[in-house]
Amino acid sequence: MPTLNVSDVTLTFGGLHALSSVNMEVKPGLITSIIGPNGAGKTSLLNCISGFYHPTRGEIQYGDNRLTHASPHQISNMGIARAFQNLELFRGLSVLDNLMLARHQKLNYNLIQAAVFFGKASRMEAENRAYVEDVIDFMELEPYRKSMVGNLSYGIQKRVEVARALTLAPKLILLDEPMAGMNIEEKEDIVRFILDIKNEWEITSVLVEHDLGVVMDISDEIYVLDFGEVIGSGRPDEVASNKKVIEAYIGEE
Amino acid sequence: MSANRWLATGNYFTTYQEEQRIFFTAIDRLLFAFFLAALFLWPFFVELDSKYMLVIDNILVAVIAVLGLNMVTGFAGLISVGHAAFVGVGAYTVACCARIIGDQHVLITHAWPLMILVSGFMGAIFGLVVGLPALRLKHLYLVMATLSFQMIFEWTIGFMDFFNQGQTIYVGRVVWFTGEVGRNEHYLFWYYALLTVVVICGFAVRNLLRTRYGRCLVAVRDNDRAADAMGMHPGFTKVYAFGLAGFLAGIAGSMHAYLYRGVGMESFTLHESIQYLAMTIVGGLGALTGSFFGPAAIKILDLQVESLAEWALNYLPSTMNLATALRPLSFGLVIVLFLMFEPRGIANWWRILRSYVKLWPFRY
Repeated sequence: MPTLNVSDVTLTFGGLHALSSVNMEVKPGLITSIIGPNGAGKTSLLNCISGFYHPTRGEIQYGDNRLTHASPHQISNMGIARAFQNLELFRGLSVLDNLMLARHQKLNYNLIQAAVFFGKASRMEAENRAYVEDVIDFMELEPYRKSMVGNLSYGIQKRVEVARALTLAPKLILLDEPMAGMNIEEKEDIVRFILDIKNEWEITSVLVEHDLGVVMDISDEIYVLDFGEVIGSGRPDEVASNKKVIEAYIGEE
Repeated sequence: MSANRWLATGNYFTTYQEEQRIFFTAIDRLLFAFFLAALFLWPFFVELDSKYMLVIDNILVAVIAVLGLNMVTGFAGLISVGHAAFVGVGAYTVACCARIIGDQHVLITHAWPLMILVSGFMGAIFGLVVGLPALRLKHLYLVMATLSFQMIFEWTIGFMDFFNQGQTIYVGRVVWFTGEVGRNEHYLFWYYALLTVVVICGFAVRNLLRTRYGRCLVAVRDNDRAADAMGMHPGFTKVYAFGLAGFLAGIAGSMHAYLYRGVGMESFTLHESIQYLAMTIVGGLGALTGSFFGPAAIKILDLQVESLAEWALNYLPSTMNLATALRPLSFGLVIVLFLMFEPRGIANWWRILRSYVKLWPFRY
C-alpha cells in the first residue's frame, strides 16, 4: 500500500498563513491523527490532501500520484476518501442512494444502457448494491437504509458520512472529526468502527479529532499542529510528553 | 422467490435485481397496464371535439418538455428560464429542413420519426453549449445565462430572413402506413404519436433516475462539494443535465411543429419559458409524476379560465375582454398558492393518496 507524503506544504489566504511548511508522512495500515487547537489548520491540511484547496507551495504525493494540483474527484479515484466534519450528505436522498453515489465511478455502463435499464446497467447496479450492503452491515445502518438522510439524527448522519467514505473502497480514509458533538456511547461506536476499518478492511486512516483521550488511545502516530505549523509528532506517549505540545494546549507556566 | 407477488404483504425480495423494479407488486403493474391501455383506447369510444383534442395534444407536448425541465431544474436544481428556446431549437430544426429541402420533402413527410430524433439531438447540442456556464456559474448567475440564451434565440429568429423573421414556416402533412394523415384525423394521429413518445420518454427518465445518471443530478443539487469528493465532476454533471433537458425539449419542439403544421416564434417566447417553469413547480420539482400533473393542471386551468371569460361576456360590456386579464391573474395566483401551501406540487398529493390507499382501511 502506498504512503502519503506531505512535504513542505504552505497554504496562504492573502496574508494569512493557514499552513506553513508542514511535513507529514502517513504510513500505510496505521491510524495517523492530527490534533491541535481550534484554527490550527487541521481541516485546511485535509482539504489540501483531498483537493479542495491547492497548496501555495510544497508537494503532496500518494504513492506514484501527485495530489498537489488534482481535483477532488480525481483524488477520490486514486483511493483517498474523505468524511466531512460538517455533514455534507445528500439530504434529499435515502441512505442507500447516498452510498450508491459513492459507487459512481465503479458503475461504468453508458447512458443508453441506463435509459433502457436492461442487462449491464441492472446487473452492475445489483453488484454494487451488494458492496453497499457490506458497508451498511459493517456500519450497522440496516434500520435506516431507506430513510431520507435529512430526517435522521445527527449521530446517525455522522455514521452515514463515514459509511459513504468507506463505500468509495478507498485505500486511505480521511476522517474529519467523526466524533464531534456525540455522546459517549456514540463515540464508543465510532471508535470501534475506526479500529475495525484499520483491522478488518485494512484501510489507512487519517483522523482529525478534538477528543484527546480517544486520540491517545487509538492512534499509531500523532501530528500536532498549532498556527499552521507542526509542533510535534510521534507515538502518542512521545507527543504527550512533548513540551511544546503541552504549551500549546495548556499554556506556559 | 417471494411468497406473494400481488400484494405488498409477503412480497419479499431475495435478489437486489428484484428490488430495482419500478412496480413492486403485480397489482401496481396491472393497474398501470390498464391505465396505459385506457389512454390508447379511449378515442375509439369517445368522439372529442377537435378543440379539446388539440388541448390534450398540447398537454402531451408540454409533458415531454417539462420532463426535460424537471431534470435540470427539479433534479439537478439549476433554474432554467430558457426552456422554451430549447423547445424552439427542436421546432426550428424541422423548420430549417423544411426551408432548405422544401416542406413536402420525403424526409419531412415520411421520415418524421427520424426528424424528431434529429431535433432531439439538436436540442441536446444547444443544451450542452448553453450549459457550459454551469462549469463556473451558480444560482442566479446561471439563470441569467439561460435567460440570455432565450433572448439570443428570440432575436436570431426574429431578425433572420431565413427563419421568416418569426412568421410561420410551414411543415408538410406526414405520411403513415395508411397514407397521408388528413385534416380530420390529424389531431388523433398526433395524439397517438405523442402518447407513444411520452411513454418512451417517461420510462427512459424513470430508468435514468435509478442509475448513476439520475443520482448524480440529485447529488449536485444537494451538495456539489460532496459530489466532487464522491468522484464525479460537478461541472460536467450540470452540463449533462442541460444536455438531457435540451434533448427532451428538442423532441417536444419538433412534435409541436408537426402538430401545428408550422413553426412560428410566438410559441417559444420568454412567456412560454415561464409557463414551463410554472408547470414544473405546480407539478412538483424533483418528482417524476409531477412532470405529468403539472402541464395537465396548467393547461386545463387555462381552458377553464377561457370558458369562464366567455361566459362572463354575456353579462359584461363587449369591450371588456376579461380573458386577457383573468389568464395571467389566475396563472400567477396558482403559482403563488402552490409555492405557499404545497411547494412539493401535485406530485405530493399523489404520494399522499397512494400511501393512503396502501394502508386503507387503517389510518396509520
